[in-house]
Amino acid sequence: MKSKKTALAQGFIRCHDCGCLSKLSDNLNVCTLCGGRLHPRLPHSLQRTVALLLSASFLYIPANIFPIMTYTKLGVGEPHTIIGGIISLINGDMVPIAMLVLVASILVPMLKLLGISLLLLNVHYRWQTHPKKWTMLYRVIAFVGRWSMLDIFMISILVALVDLGGVATVIAGTAATAFAAVVVLTMFAAKNFDPRLIWDKQR
Amino acid sequence: MNNIDFTACPECDLLLKPTAPVVGDKAHCPRCGYLLHRPRKQSIERTFALSIAGLILIFPAYFMPIVGIIVLGKSKDGTLWTGVINLFAEHLWGVAVLVFLSSILFPLLNIIFSLLISVHLYFKKPNRYLALWMRWLQHIDEWAMLEIYTLGIIVACVKISSLAELKFGLGLYAFIALLIVTGMLASSLDKVLFWRQIGQLKPEKSNVNGADK
Repeated sequence: MKSKKTALAQGFIRCHDCGCLSKLSDNLNVCTLCGGRLHPRLPHSLQRTVALLLSASFLYIPANIFPIMTYTKLGVGEPHTIIGGIISLINGDMVPIAMLVLVASILVPMLKLLGISLLLLNVHYRWQTHPKKWTMLYRVIAFVGRWSMLDIFMISILVALVDLGGVATVIAGTAATAFAAVVVLTMFAAKNFDPRLIWDKQR
Repeated sequence: MNNIDFTACPECDLLLKPTAPVVGDKAHCPRCGYLLHRPRKQSIERTFALSIAGLILIFPAYFMPIVGIIVLGKSKDGTLWTGVINLFAEHLWGVAVLVFLSSILFPLLNIIFSLLISVHLYFKKPNRYLALWMRWLQHIDEWAMLEIYTLGIIVACVKISSLAELKFGLGLYAFIALLIVTGMLASSLDKVLFWRQIGQLKPEKSNVNGADK
């Protein structure tokens, strides 16, 4: 009986912030050590994750369609989408950097959107197999999420740097906002998903 | 403090007996493999020292030029700060706020909270805000993204290297030093130890709770 082993099943609540246990029977609202709010599991974990995930996946479309930045040199400029930027890096014989950008700004957001959906399906339909592997998937998603910010930071530097009036300018595009929102929303989605739900469903 | 001598795994909620921590050991959850505790040598002292170092480095890293370009005789320097300002000027407020938070405000708060907490723990001075600072520190942690900013700098340099001549500023060295210091800070801060110490520094409150029971 695996489910008997959880702290909750034995009448304890773990504080999310400091990790100390409180007795369920004490009916405490806040942790006695750190004052954080006590919940047996993250409140409305699945609903919040679904909501954030849906918003992120809708924003993923404008993030990839619209130009993320425009580089103008001597009055001649062309807008670049995320993929366009990668292609121009490949054309400029900078394949390793192109791969880095490809991973950070295309593969990681896709992995996150897909992976979190799978985790939600797993919990919802109570797939009973390989809880350890599912937890690993959760960890990878939670770890990897921040690295998508790479593109945003790169734009921030380019915007500061390439600002030479008529000679050369970089202007950030609308997709930057959408892409930043995708990154933040998927990070919040991963944060709101409670991995203990994977284990709770074990029989 | 309460008298429950158990802990639970944060990722699978397995109820566990805490083991006595030995420096160099890693405690993993037997069920899901989560790294429960990794005791650090002189965690409080090192956090104290590293957060002071970080505080010294952080302002040159923010305000001194990191990279500069020269195009057709015209030159321009870029700093972390002007990046945010220019994004604001281009009306990309959302992106500007996000970059400001993740590359400027949260790394700074991270260092300030680490310093405040470790100073109090080092001198064993109780403070009613200790637990609050520690909680904020944990929430901010994920959103301070200096290491990703570094990658951003590298990619940006590669992108414009074919179009313009690059020069590296003093800010870059400060930034790299800051990156190393914050990395060491994150790995020397032993959260389990810190929470235990914070709990021990809170005698008045536990008496109140004891009286309630």
